[in-house]
Amino acid sequence: MQAITIQNLSKTYETGKEAVKNLSLSLEAGEVFGFLGPNGAGKTTTVKLLTGILTPTSGTCRVFDLDPQTEANRVHAVSGIVTEHAQMYDHLTAMENLMFYASTFGINRSEAKKRSETLLAEFELTDAKDQKLASFSTGMRQRLSLARALIHRPSILFLDEPTSGLDPENAQRVHQMIRKLASEEHIAVFLCTHQLRYAQEVCTRYGLMDEGTLLVTGTLEELRTSTFSGQTLSIRADRLPAGLPFVSCGDSFYTTSIRSEQEIPDLIRTLVAQGVNLYEVSVKKPSLEDIYFALTAKQTEGF
Amino acid sequence: MKRLAIYSIIRKDIRGITVNTRLFASIWIVPIIFTVFFPSIFVFSIHMVPDDPDFIKLLEQFPASLQMESTDLSIIALIANYILPVFFLMIPIMTASIMAASAFVGEKERRTLETLLYCPLTLKEIFHAKVLASFLLSMFVSLSSFLVMLIVLEVEVFFLMGSLLVPGISWLIVMLLIAPAISLIAITLIVLGSAKAKSVEEAQQSAVFLVIPIILLFVGQFSGVLFLGNWVLLGLGILCAGAAFVLLLQSMKHFTYEKLLK
Ligand SMILES: Nc1ncnc2c1ncn2[C@@H]1O[C@H](COP(=O)(O)OP(=O)(O)O)[C@@H](O)[C@H]1O
Ligand SMILES: [Mg+2]
Repeated sequence: MQAITIQNLSKTYETGKEAVKNLSLSLEAGEVFGFLGPNGAGKTTTVKLLTGILTPTSGTCRVFDLDPQTEANRVHAVSGIVTEHAQMYDHLTAMENLMFYASTFGINRSEAKKRSETLLAEFELTDAKDQKLASFSTGMRQRLSLARALIHRPSILFLDEPTSGLDPENAQRVHQMIRKLASEEHIAVFLCTHQLRYAQEVCTRYGLMDEGTLLVTGTLEELRTSTFSGQTLSIRADRLPAGLPFVSCGDSFYTTSIRSEQEIPDLIRTLVAQGVNLYEVSVKKPSLEDIYFALTAKQTEGF
Repeated sequence: MKRLAIYSIIRKDIRGITVNTRLFASIWIVPIIFTVFFPSIFVFSIHMVPDDPDFIKLLEQFPASLQMESTDLSIIALIANYILPVFFLMIPIMTASIMAASAFVGEKERRTLETLLYCPLTLKEIFHAKVLASFLLSMFVSLSSFLVMLIVLEVEVFFLMGSLLVPGISWLIVMLLIAPAISLIAITLIVLGSAKAKSVEEAQQSAVFLVIPIILLFVGQFSGVLFLGNWVLLGLGILCAGAAFVLLLQSMKHFTYEKLLK
């Protein structure tokens, strides 16, 4: 069964803002889907539509074949949801918070306790489990939110900017946990973020959003081949090779674009024959950021 | 499963109030003033001040059922049965308002409402749990205030005048019908207002509109203009209960996730 199916989904707010425009996509169980785009792209709106918090203006969406519009509570039963606005109680301890949310999912005390302890250990919060949340740092809160979202063993996780406000080290930790969850527990993950660089390390497939429109979906390789015709070969050498299409990019680095890896051996042979001293040769693949900027540039140029 | 979830929301909401010293104090201060301080002042001043002949004449015009063995006792019984019940309209309103404001607007303010909405209960079930939590606390405070007042009054009257008071039927109607009904009304009004209110204080202010008519009624009672008989009281109680029921149903219809989180 598909974890998520979205068909021609649109949402226009009362203010007239078209936050999501004719969105269609689907997500398999066990996939980590990176839903990427800058602030205001419509990511949070999409999550709210999928979790039944907002009503679509047109189109449909389903989560494990449940309609978030009519059976939001059943969608919630299979979903773990982490958003920026979904906070927990400051006057309760980490353990008390988890126990409370477990009980709202109908989990009995003894099982809730076991599950909470496992999750606290997994998210490295065992030492802080009896501390009130008021004393928690942003990183600790974020990890506890993930633990809270997992308390009822959901089949899908909605993570809306789970690393916003975290330092790179903490963000890294959260991402490692997300990846581990997806591979070990076979949970589908719908990860929204504007930090494209981080997302690249976590997701199996991506969707790039811009101003409510889904620009493209696919794996990183698919996005690369569909967006860029080639790759970039970069060398570090003692001088600019003559007669070859290399351009200098400072610090003894020279780059050229190639269509495929097959061109590399010939290029190197030519360089060596010219007597160029080579210190480094690398193929640079376009990053998600490169792809995103290329796509948005195309959009504004082409249309 | 659902029952466990609803029960733990109720428990959490009530605990949220009791662990907050400021809120907890504000819930108990007014009832203590109304049920211990005021009645004691009445009893002691009636006991100290010599009987005023004009007042005795006034008392004689009341029905024989109100006449007690001494003037002092008659006056105290009059106050106890016709003035003190009015405090028990204000206590549930105040408690219910403080509690409901914290349970609905407070959760929105602290951004914990959204998390709660992600639980597998329907909006209606969450709503019921929260209304019930406010209602239970309000009734607990009202009933225990009543008990405290009764004990204080009886002890004081017994030691000062060597007799005991018998609370009138009106108390039964007030405590079991009118107080529950108006605390439900207060809760639903706060909840309805909470969709708009951005802060707990703002939500509590809307409850003030409920207290004012009751204060007016109180003044009316006091000057003897509004002397409601038990049947009128019962009628009023049934009216309030009906209004509470309709309001509750209406306010439920009003809610969607989107409106709640706005
Ligand atoms: N409740 C709302 N009312 C009106 N406009 C909104 C509302 N919520 C979001 N928007 C607008 O919709 C657009 C998409 O917002 P959002 O989905 O939050 O984007 P993202 O999560 O990708 O940053 C933004 O331009 C935002 O200003
Ligand atoms: Mg967002």
